Amino acid sequence: MPTPLDAIDVIDQAAGLAPGDPLHGARRVRAKVVEASQASHDALLLQPVDGLSPADRLRVAAHVCTLAAAASLEQHYADRLADAPDCDAPSSPALPAMLTFAAKLTTDPRLGDRAAIEPLRRAGLGDAAIVALAQLIAFLSYQLRVVAGLKAMRASRGDAP
Amino acid sequence: MTRRNGFTDETLEWRSWIEPLQLADATPLQLDVLDESHAQSRTSPYYLTLAHQPSMLRHRSAAYNAIMYAPGGLPRAERELGAMVVSVTNGCVYCTSVHAQRFEQLAKRSDTVEQVFDDPASAGTTERERAIATFAIAVTRRPQALGANDIAPLRAVGMNDEEIIDLLHAVAIFAWANRLMQNLGEPEGESEADRAQAARGA
Repeated sequence: MPTPLDAIDVIDQAAGLAPGDPLHGARRVRAKVVEASQASHDALLLQPVDGLSPADRLRVAAHVCTLAAAASLEQHYADRLADAPDCDAPSSPALPAMLTFAAKLTTDPRLGDRAAIEPLRRAGLGDAAIVALAQLIAFLSYQLRVVAGLKAMRASRGDAP
Repeated sequence: MTRRNGFTDETLEWRSWIEPLQLADATPLQLDVLDESHAQSRTSPYYLTLAHQPSMLRHRSAAYNAIMYAPGGLPRAERELGAMVVSVTNGCVYCTSVHAQRFEQLAKRSDTVEQVFDDPASAGTTERERAIATFAIAVTRRPQALGANDIAPLRAVGMNDEEIIDLLHAVAIFAWANRLMQNLGEPEGESEADRAQAARGA
């Protein structure tokens, strides 16, 4: 699905880019990257996964952004959680294990050894759910760095807020 | 061959801690996504593990391939340099081996690889390579503290916005790639001593 050149995606929004900004246009030189980054976000949060509800994934995402001090993305995930249809349903009993795993990967990927995924299994996550969770957390490390880099580029151009 | 501080440019194998998808059990979607992702993915434990979530793998591969292989913009050797510096900084021995090889193939030299294995913070044969390595470490270690001072050295070596975005993408996608490689499995034959050395070294 082509992205209209005048659209704003999650990365633009978090980095404060609007259509007409030079950096908004410069991102679109790599339209495939823009589209695949947004499509990854959508699939990682919304694709049905046994044992991993969309609301719990949004809780993990907000937690990762809190740990990484990525304030604008944290707000995005908190807003999405508030709007999620299952936001009032109880979180999974596996959520504490998911948050611990997320914290390890986010702060230092060297902390994620074989033992780090055992608590996820004990909490009932299957292979496909563990892969989805690892993809989500790893993607967030990418997304928050792209946003931070674009903000730094805005600052270097003198058009930062 | 370059081997230092627990890192190598030799070809390594990777084994998954998750049971990889068996090809006989793969759905048509899983097979399509594997084939889009990488030429050898049907026999790769890494891609067969990620294929448990095919639509997530599809979009990850589209992003990765566009970032690392698309023509124009930042020269591919410089994208590989960024990928290698991030991988050493994160202690990802497997990713480091792959992207050290790619850098050597594209740049036709290995001096920078030796420097990155020794100390990524001072690595680089040219001013431009040193600026790339410094930026890659900053994005990896302190993303929220990035500012205009981190961009100025890239502009000083002649990069325009499009090239800086290419470098940012290449560095950021290895925050993603390293975490999958390090948290779902490990290089085969990597000794505890190598791992400890790689962890300390970077």
